[in-house]
Amino acid sequence: MLFNTVQFFIFLAVVLLLFYASPRGLRKYILLAASYFFYACWNPKFILLLLTLTAIDYTAGIWIEKTPLGRRRKILLILSLTANLGFLGIFKYYNFVASNVSLLLGKPANSFWFDIVLPLGISFHTFQSMSYVIDVYRGEQAAIRNPTDYALFICFFPQLVAGPIVRARNFFHDLLQWQPPSPDDVSRGLFLLALGLTKKMAFADQFAKVANGYFANVAGHPGMVTAWTGVLAFGMQIYFDFSGYTDMAIGMALLLGFHFPVNFRRPYLAASITEFWHRWHISLSTWLRDYLYISLGGSRHGRWNTYRNLMLTMLLGGLWHGASWNFMIWGGYHGALLAVERAIRGDRRNREGWSWLYPLKWLLTMALVMVGWVFFRAADLHQSLIILGQMFAHPSGHTLFQPWHVGLIVVSLVLAIAEEKLEWFERLMEAPVWAYASALALMLFCLEIFGVIDAQIPFIYFQF
Amino acid sequence: MPLSPSENPPVTSPPRAGVRRRLILRAILAGLLGCAGAFGLDALLFRTKMYPQLLEPDSSTGLFELTLRRETKAQQQNGDNLVATLGDSRLGYSPKLADELAPKTGYVFRQAGLAGTDVRSWFYMLRDLDPTARRYRAILFALNDYDDEDGWGDPADDIRVLHYTINRLRLSDAIELARSFDSGALQWEAFRGSVLKGLVYQRDIQEFLSHPLKRIQAVRLNNEGYPTWTWNYEETPRNMVGLQIDWSTWQVVFPPGADQDQIDTVKAFLMYPVAPQTGRFAAYRRQWFGKIIDRYRGSPTKIVFVRLARGPIPRPGNLVRKKSSSIREFARRPNVLLMPEHAFDSLEHPEFYKDGMHLNREGAARFSTMLAEEVAKLLGPPSARGAAR
Repeated sequence: MLFNTVQFFIFLAVVLLLFYASPRGLRKYILLAASYFFYACWNPKFILLLLTLTAIDYTAGIWIEKTPLGRRRKILLILSLTANLGFLGIFKYYNFVASNVSLLLGKPANSFWFDIVLPLGISFHTFQSMSYVIDVYRGEQAAIRNPTDYALFICFFPQLVAGPIVRARNFFHDLLQWQPPSPDDVSRGLFLLALGLTKKMAFADQFAKVANGYFANVAGHPGMVTAWTGVLAFGMQIYFDFSGYTDMAIGMALLLGFHFPVNFRRPYLAASITEFWHRWHISLSTWLRDYLYISLGGSRHGRWNTYRNLMLTMLLGGLWHGASWNFMIWGGYHGALLAVERAIRGDRRNREGWSWLYPLKWLLTMALVMVGWVFFRAADLHQSLIILGQMFAHPSGHTLFQPWHVGLIVVSLVLAIAEEKLEWFERLMEAPVWAYASALALMLFCLEIFGVIDAQIPFIYFQF
Repeated sequence: MPLSPSENPPVTSPPRAGVRRRLILRAILAGLLGCAGAFGLDALLFRTKMYPQLLEPDSSTGLFELTLRRETKAQQQNGDNLVATLGDSRLGYSPKLADELAPKTGYVFRQAGLAGTDVRSWFYMLRDLDPTARRYRAILFALNDYDDEDGWGDPADDIRVLHYTINRLRLSDAIELARSFDSGALQWEAFRGSVLKGLVYQRDIQEFLSHPLKRIQAVRLNNEGYPTWTWNYEETPRNMVGLQIDWSTWQVVFPPGADQDQIDTVKAFLMYPVAPQTGRFAAYRRQWFGKIIDRYRGSPTKIVFVRLARGPIPRPGNLVRKKSSSIREFARRPNVLLMPEHAFDSLEHPEFYKDGMHLNREGAARFSTMLAEEVAKLLGPPSARGAAR
């Protein structure tokens, strides 16, 4: 049940109706049942996996809290993390490791393969669950005693399959001190739902058609201009796809009285890779920072260790996205760029905002990010190298965009700059009804005339 | 108000319930107004002449609209003895040639048919072309067969009707049109398209936004030239001489130098395997011709059915056992006439066809004359108020 289907909106309407029509004591059970139903619509068998992970970390949380600081407490943490990473490893990385071992042994890549289906959203809910256990271990989060509350934290349907990765303290704050959504929450929620749907169907899916056409037949689309437009199309697709999904998740949560963190902050306006990662998939990058980078020592042990930590964090961040060398390279590439920037910048904080050098820096950052997307999207390393070869060959080829595609890019860039400078979204939330309604009407009209209605292109991050 | 009362108590007190409820209702109202606004924008652009006058002339909708406009205009330029013909691409006749006989027959022929359309599209075409259901002396429907032969596809599930007729659809058509499809997915597509026309116009709008000036020029050119181009249109002289079909062995010999189009049409129109006879086609014709005939009940306009020549080499009749003939059933109604079934059999020769299903220049010329004469015979003398002005 994808977010961009009629079925999902019927499901959401039923959930909202049941939620608000029920006595307060029943509401979280309704959310829990709805979340399991939502997950079961994809594959009911994996509910068992979800329940197992929930049970492990729920128990681990309580035990860790009961155990005083020391070796036993650490062992409990390690056991919990091993279980989480074990499941993730088996389902997500087994075949990748097995094929590499096979190749090392000179056997066909699929010699040790198993027919494994990747459970939907496993990377997201595993990370979310791990962060809870680590927070309990660090004493930053009280262990949750009510299993229903904990189960809901893991499987809450708006963010179950593709985040944003919600921190336990934020989620339980909303759950345990639940308040009906404020009028502002309702306005934001409705607008974000529509905005997310528009981003996904009118923008991401239109660019997906271009990008899919290009990446499916790179050899048939030679030339530098072709390669850059094909990759740019994917860059647009992945941004609108993922941020659209996130907007919808945040919007739905708001309508249910929950507050999710911001996950994107106009990343394509970034003027450095560091800034890009402060704006892109923020819930993951802060997770990696808090639970990996800082655990590795962060920037506390000198320059070279900082570079190593950045590199390791991003390598693992890349691997988190998928079990392939391409994702590793993508992560490593960003790690290297972050390290280089860090080396140039030194310990000075990265400054965001306008300067005369901004256009140049922005252009360079965009180009570097686009080069990274090649590894992210290409089928394999070989295809990545072919595309990169085309991108940096002598000028040739033709644009894959129709003029109206360019129009969509320009409009979204203008809106992003306007949001950056004028915060139109915030102003709109406080604007008179007619202004809010007009903006919503325009957006829905845009969805009508640009939305890819029947293709049902899945959200990219659902595969992670 | 915790959802889990066993845990921490709330730290903030909620605002007064009345004020809060009013503000939430305001937010929901704003959301609903937004939806209404989007619908209003759709209506403003697509239910007025604003966007439809910019439609790509060479699209299904564009051609449908050009034809409808041309024929509406022709009503003002011609007398009372107008005969409107409706059919698909197989209705290959020249109104210009048919009208050369107007002094003799008394009737003026107008071609309102369009390639790719069928009776469902014709219903919507006629509804706007002849709103009083009294403008024409006769409405002529050209068919492949009076009997109902099911093909492999479900005629009710041909979504092209939505694209041809979208500019003519009213909100009140949404449910009926949607229900006329058998597939649930197509019912939904037809319903939402009829309500939000922008969904159907998507590609047209995107192309317009890409090249607006080019579109405006094309529209202008077509608005000026379409009536003349279509009036003077002449079919290709190429023919299918040399085509042979052995129906006992199902072997075909194509004319020397036959192109892919000629081969494909022979295969699709003549050499197709018989489909199971389910009665779907009969039900479809009963529904839509029924609606048209009901509309003309009590009108002086006659409904005329014509069976077209069956192709360069007709399929033997014994290949399929047809279970019904909805058209012959309609012929029992007072204002419905059936042209003799074999009136155009003399055209069933390869020299009169450009491919496996369409008449060529010579075939179309002969058919035009024959059609005019047969219609005149069937309708009798024209009204006293005169034929062509």
